Amino acid sequence: MTNRIAELRKARKISQAELADGVDVTRQTIISLESGRYNASLLLAHKIAKYFGMTIEEVFLFEEEIP
Amino acid sequence: MKDCLKKAAPYVMFAAAWVLILATFLLGERIKEQLSLLLFTLGGVLLGFGAVGIALSRIRMSPEQQKEYERSEHDERNVAIREKAAMSSWYWTLYMLWAVFMVIQIFVGGLWGVAVSVVIVLHCTFYMINIHRWNKKM
Repeated sequence: MTNRIAELRKARKISQAELADGVDVTRQTIISLESGRYNASLLLAHKIAKYFGMTIEEVFLFEEEIP
Repeated sequence: MKDCLKKAAPYVMFAAAWVLILATFLLGERIKEQLSLLLFTLGGVLLGFGAVGIALSRIRMSPEQQKEYERSEHDERNVAIREKAAMSSWYWTLYMLWAVFMVIQIFVGGLWGVAVSVVIVLHCTFYMINIHRWNKKM
């Protein structure tokens, strides 16, 4: 799973700390999400999508493996 | 009321620990050796929990630091890391305790076997309590 958090955050000129404050997580979690080291829970994905005023699908990209 | 109890708990544990330890020394050989060991072990555990609780309550943080600390406690990634680390260390220490238990049973036996069994039970209880606590925070 990939996400557009870094792209959306930079487009809106929001710092990682501000985003972390907005969704009530630590900055380290935002860093891990942006680098793809950590996958957000459904609750956090919902919070982040809501923060950007988008749907979960628009922020988080689920890539299906082609057999 | 709940907050009051939470604040008082480490002090109560600390005091109870000293009572148990002192009782062990004062009663001396008037009580059975097993009971003496049990009282002393319980006293030691309570002393540890009490002292850590008191030390943590004395640490003063600014409102910002307090907010950051609370956030890091509830952060889902931190909770996941803590659970994973706790589970891993619990497995390893449990294996080691079982090894100690077996060695004692074979070569020493008696009271030491009972003591290690108590430690194994406490070890499992500690893990279960922490998992429950972290799940609640998530």
